[in-house]
Amino acid sequence: MHSVTYYGSYGVVLAVVLAGALLVIVAFGAARLIAPRRPNVGGKRTTYECGIDPVGEGWSQSQVRYYVYGFLFVIFDVESVFLFPWARVFQTLGYQAVVSMAIFIGILAVGLLYAWRKGVLTWV
Amino acid sequence: MTIDYHAILPVLILSSTIVIVLVTDLFLPPRHKSASMWVALVGVLATLVAVLSLIGKGDRPDSFGGSYQVDAFTIVFQTFFMSAAAVVLLISYRYFREGGFYQGEYYFLLLTSFLGCLLMPASRDLLMLFLSLELVSAPGFLMAAFRKSDVKGNEGGLKFFLIGVLSTAVMLYGMSLIYGLTGHLQLAAVSDGLQQLSGAKETLANAAILFVVVGFAFKVSAVPFQFWAPDTYEGSPVPVAAFLGVASAAAGFAGLLQLMFVAFVHEYTFWVPLFVALSLVTMTLGNLVALQQRQVVRLLAYSGIAQTGYILLPFALVSADPSINHSAFQAAVTYILIYGIMNLGAFAVTTAISGQRPLLRIEDFAGLAKTAPLLATAMTVFMVSLAGVPPTGGFWAKLLIFQAGIQRGGVGVLLAVAMVINSVISVGYYFLIPRAMIFEDAEDQRPFRSPILVTAVVAVAMTALLIIFVVPNAIYRLGEVTSLGFGG
Repeated sequence: MHSVTYYGSYGVVLAVVLAGALLVIVAFGAARLIAPRRPNVGGKRTTYECGIDPVGEGWSQSQVRYYVYGFLFVIFDVESVFLFPWARVFQTLGYQAVVSMAIFIGILAVGLLYAWRKGVLTWV
Repeated sequence: MTIDYHAILPVLILSSTIVIVLVTDLFLPPRHKSASMWVALVGVLATLVAVLSLIGKGDRPDSFGGSYQVDAFTIVFQTFFMSAAAVVLLISYRYFREGGFYQGEYYFLLLTSFLGCLLMPASRDLLMLFLSLELVSAPGFLMAAFRKSDVKGNEGGLKFFLIGVLSTAVMLYGMSLIYGLTGHLQLAAVSDGLQQLSGAKETLANAAILFVVVGFAFKVSAVPFQFWAPDTYEGSPVPVAAFLGVASAAAGFAGLLQLMFVAFVHEYTFWVPLFVALSLVTMTLGNLVALQQRQVVRLLAYSGIAQTGYILLPFALVSADPSINHSAFQAAVTYILIYGIMNLGAFAVTTAISGQRPLLRIEDFAGLAKTAPLLATAMTVFMVSLAGVPPTGGFWAKLLIFQAGIQRGGVGVLLAVAMVINSVISVGYYFLIPRAMIFEDAEDQRPFRSPILVTAVVAVAMTALLIIFVVPNAIYRLGEVTSLGFGG
């Protein structure tokens, strides 16, 4: 093992890749050659072969409510990003740091107020 | 860190107003949403008073470690921006009340942009300049797309956003290189730091200056970075176009003036040729394309591009001689102030027309001399002034730049002559609107209702332009005192 050179060790990687590719090719190729193919027998083409028959299309629209997430994420994420480092050091910074943070949280609270009045907090 | 609370009082008042406007809007019943405008207006006027209270109290360079400084330059520009804010608010009132827009949010965004404008002339380091410029632009992206159901509105907003972000990235890259090379953010320190560079570092510094200039060129819509402007202006609500064309552009110039005349002034041999080219191409192309326009907002957009070319001209006059730099600086400041008045006026009249004739073609102005004589007279004055013809303030603005060009000699003379030729070309399209108003009859014979607030604003702007023509010293003085501490 000690005689393997720097580039030689890449040979091992290459061997692993080749072995992996070979494994997949052999497995799928064998299945293709050996296995019988009767796709139209017994509901093989439905989404779930056993269980309840699906209703409607596979593609459907769903409301992600991105705006709600975006809005609330910005408010609370920005808050925590500044609050944690602040909480670590505010004792050494004195009252000025407390006042600054109070103003900052106050402005973010206006954001939350806005979200509440605009009905963002109620889930439809 | 010391904070001079009187110096930052205007900023504090405007910031509080922004919060108050947003909160008030939340509790207003839907029918009375337009009341937000009056709240905003009171805040803006209070800010204006706070700015004016700083006059004659000396320079205040100490807040936030010198990042926020109050001197004559700051006060002149802050007064200008707050007056512009009052005008934009007043012309927005009817447009937004009748257009079915989100009014509270609009006034909130507009004031936030103006907060950026307010910070811009006081910013004396790269970081503050960048933050102020972004504070101007970011709400601007939203306001430009405020006509949500209109395809053109969306297109204009998106273009403005993409170009704005791109220009910011380019500018920020330049600023980061400058910080890396000099180790300073303060403009004065950057200026000293850049002088000491040599060899490859000097080349890199020049590249960085180029990046910053390109970033600002996007913001002030100089050719070849102008293509977003006409589409954005056309797609935006007309009062927002007024904001973008006047306040946003002036904020860009307020930043550019500080960078070029303070931070990068010793590197002028590198960047003066850039500005010569920018100025020449911008004014010529702007004017030639404006000749083809038949829609008034697009026409004003291209006229704005041409005017940007004139304002860029004094930058191209910078040399080793402080007295020439001073005249160039003075000419640029004076031009921006007068241009602000006449362009705001022109957009105000356009806003007034847009209520009944939303297409805003030149034909839509026909017959206005009979139906709305005050608006028609004022629009004529604004157009004559934009063309730089006496008896209006625009004449002195152009004359001052012309004089600075002649004083500089060499390339300055060439630029001055180019400006005169361009002014003559510009008469070709500026006079189309007065001609339609006076000599043509309207297709639409219904009586025209002049909105009272807009008419009042327009009358004030028109009077100001005529007064400036009679007593030019009033506004020259403003240009003279704003020396930013070089040579003056």
